[in-house]
Amino acid sequence: MSTTFDQVATIIAETCDIPRDTITPDSHAIDDLGIDSLDFLDIAFAIDKQFGIKLPLEKWTQEVNDGKATTEQYFVLKNLCARIDELVAAKGASA
Amino acid sequence: MQLEYFHMIDRIVDLNVGEKKIVVEALVPKESTIFEGHFPGYPLMPGVLLIESMAQASGFLLLGVLKFERMPILAAVKEAKVRGSVFPGDLMTLEASVAHEGSGYAMTEAKIRVGGKLRANSSLTFTLIPFPNADMRGYMTKVAERVGFPQQAVSP
Repeated sequence: MSTTFDQVATIIAETCDIPRDTITPDSHAIDDLGIDSLDFLDIAFAIDKQFGIKLPLEKWTQEVNDGKATTEQYFVLKNLCARIDELVAAKGASA
Repeated sequence: MQLEYFHMIDRIVDLNVGEKKIVVEALVPKESTIFEGHFPGYPLMPGVLLIESMAQASGFLLLGVLKFERMPILAAVKEAKVRGSVFPGDLMTLEASVAHEGSGYAMTEAKIRVGGKLRANSSLTFTLIPFPNADMRGYMTKVAERVGFPQQAVSP
């Protein structure tokens, strides 16, 4: 079974036409991979579908804008994958 | 349809918020300056206006689903196919459904039929923003009334 990171990296590679081998757990989706907000919607859509969750992009964006969080917390891929795992676990717990 | 105001939709036929589907109608005017240039001797609706019509149908649907708490703004046309021409005087029936509702964005699928025949379809992405000001909120409420938006779907 592939890891969350493998699945997310594949989604990013396919959605944004980025070579898969350039995507690492330490890649920052925006700063390193150059993914803009509109392209990230497509990634979010694919993640939502694949993991059966709803990435709280609005909440994250608000926290970053308010200075309560950094973009690294949500958009460095290993951190993004940790958030996804948390959301999947929370969904499983509430099911 | 009032092309000069970009009012593409005339009437909501059915809005099903539970199933996240809408059916609307739009009557293409028989005359417009647009048809003088597009094209002389062979007037037809520009494809971009068909896409805009599908976007507006989707927009009304999203306004209903979101209970007028957010304004959908077209962000991406993932796919658009014009399968047949739409001419002045044609009555378009548009259907739209929500394919995915994310956090701050939504994706829809929309179709245009004339006389039961599919003329265009598209996959659209919208960002969902707070109404930027009271003027826009008020304007959209008036637009909603004009097209027969169900009143219970206008008020949060």
